[in-house]
Amino acid sequence: MSGSLQLTGLTRVHAAGAPPALDDLTLAVPAGSCVAVLGPSGSGKSTVLRLTAGLDTPTRGSVHLDGRDLAGVVPERRGMAMVFQRPLLFPHLSVRDNVGFADRVRGLPRRQARERAEHHLELVQLGGFGSRPARALSGGQAQRVALARALAAEPRVLLLDEPFSALDTGLRQEMHELLADLRLRLAPTVLLVTHDPAEADALADTVAVLAAGRLQQLGPMRELYARPRSLAVSRLLGGRTEVPGTVTGGRHRSALGELELPAPAPEGPGVLVVRPEAVTLVAAADADARGTVVQVRRRGLRALVTVEVAGRGTEPAAVAAELSPGEEVAVGAEVGLRIPVTARCVVPPAGLADAREGASAHDRQR
Amino acid sequence: MSAPLLVSRLGSRLGRGALAFWLVLPLVPLLLWAAADRWSAPALLPQAWGTTGLAEARAAGAGAAAVRSAVLGTAVAVLATPLGALAGRALTSGALRAPGLVFAVLLSPLVLPPFAVALGLDVLLLRLRVPAEVGLVLLLTVAAIPYTTVVMRAAYAAHDRHHDEEARLLGASAWRVVRSVHLPLLAPAVAGAAFLAFLVGWSDYVVTLLVGGGRLVTLPLLVGAAASATGNDAQVAVLALSAVLPPVALLVVIGSIGRRARR
Repeated sequence: MSGSLQLTGLTRVHAAGAPPALDDLTLAVPAGSCVAVLGPSGSGKSTVLRLTAGLDTPTRGSVHLDGRDLAGVVPERRGMAMVFQRPLLFPHLSVRDNVGFADRVRGLPRRQARERAEHHLELVQLGGFGSRPARALSGGQAQRVALARALAAEPRVLLLDEPFSALDTGLRQEMHELLADLRLRLAPTVLLVTHDPAEADALADTVAVLAAGRLQQLGPMRELYARPRSLAVSRLLGGRTEVPGTVTGGRHRSALGELELPAPAPEGPGVLVVRPEAVTLVAAADADARGTVVQVRRRGLRALVTVEVAGRGTEPAAVAAELSPGEEVAVGAEVGLRIPVTARCVVPPAGLADAREGASAHDRQR
Repeated sequence: MSAPLLVSRLGSRLGRGALAFWLVLPLVPLLLWAAADRWSAPALLPQAWGTTGLAEARAAGAGAAAVRSAVLGTAVAVLATPLGALAGRALTSGALRAPGLVFAVLLSPLVLPPFAVALGLDVLLLRLRVPAEVGLVLLLTVAAIPYTTVVMRAAYAAHDRHHDEEARLLGASAWRVVRSVHLPLLAPAVAGAAFLAFLVGWSDYVVTLLVGGGRLVTLPLLVGAAASATGNDAQVAVLALSAVLPPVALLVVIGSIGRRARR
């Protein structure tokens, strides 16, 4: 059932003269894997799905499914199914006939389509809901039915366009578990679009970060968290610490002092980014830098603190640190910061970012 | 039940009652007249009941005229409904450069006096040797398009095109989408638009008189002719009722389609 999807140089310009909604995206979705396209709204991530599904035509580039070029192939013959942000159940049909729609369209007798629909409803834990009218469902149930309807079409690729973002947190969690379970059972090829890093982390094997229509970085979520390639990626993934400075001889100089880097970085200006989870508060003697707590925010059992480090002749730097559960510190306290070498990552400053990101995105694609 | 709620319910009921009374009131004398063989001035009710009115109406050709009106209304509905649907879809698609202007042009038949338009176009149709029946259907279709366009435009504005896309992705061809998703979802609007277009054909007087030259006798023409004569009130009442009741019956059918779709 699952196919392997390859997008190559995919570009879409909506109106002549306008900047491309999607610019030269190359992305592979191996059979049975789940790839997430992560980006803020307007980053072109939904365009990726529309071009893949054949609902829009790419300005340049190609979509291959199992090695076959899909140019000119109409959406209904692509062997894909999509779940949108809204369930979009057909309101004039029962739940069962919604799920059986694809089977009916491909000519299966009504009774057989309904039997298969019941099976797929059970897959999404909605057995027995078949005879209800589509309008009589709650938001979460309707989205489950939409998922069952897409699965019943036995697509070679399942496209998910922010399918859970309209649901409240608890329901979203349930849907994540359901999808993970379905992946184990059916191993579908999934291309998922989301703006939520946690969702990408929970569901996808590989994540492609998209901003302003361009691929910023591609890799497993762990790698994106630990080694963002740009400020844009770091910010999108919830990075808070950005310390401007200069790289010389494998060391980063800034208000935090001179810090050794785990990997070679390009010489010249560079911004140090560190995940708040990696930073710990320590006694002054063991510290990489010392500063004052200027803000404390609660995050359940943990606290997220911002520590300001005054630089010598440079601007002060703000470092975010997530404390361990139960650990408390007051605003105004003088603290020492430990930033493990492996957690240090230098990205190009904002002005230089675009040029370098473009180049690196190209490099990856070659 | 709280007092304000009670008052508001009572008010709503009174309002509905008054509206029903207002709509039904004109039909009461018609019904009485239709069944009256004799009903002279001071009497509150007819002095003699009977079916003279019915017999006279049938003799005047009410049956054939009703069939002609029905055919005319149906032809107008069959033509104007899909055209209105296409216009409504185009107006809401965002593909038009000046949808407001196009909408105004489509609505213009409502603004122009039908008498003037019909008179002018009648000459044109005569010169082009278009048969009167065809010309009549064409003119009335143009007159009906504003109604069908307004109804279908509203329906398409409320229609979510993602439903169509979803159906395509589930394997339905473009035609299958129209049949299995599009039409069922838009059925109430299509029925409403067709009903309005049917009424334009069914109840037209001026255009039929001018283009048909009096030879094409439809129900409204028969009612008009009978009403302008005197002393045959029973016949006029029967003719008027036979012009009113079929659309009312049709409306009930369409209403039930709408209810089923909303369920």
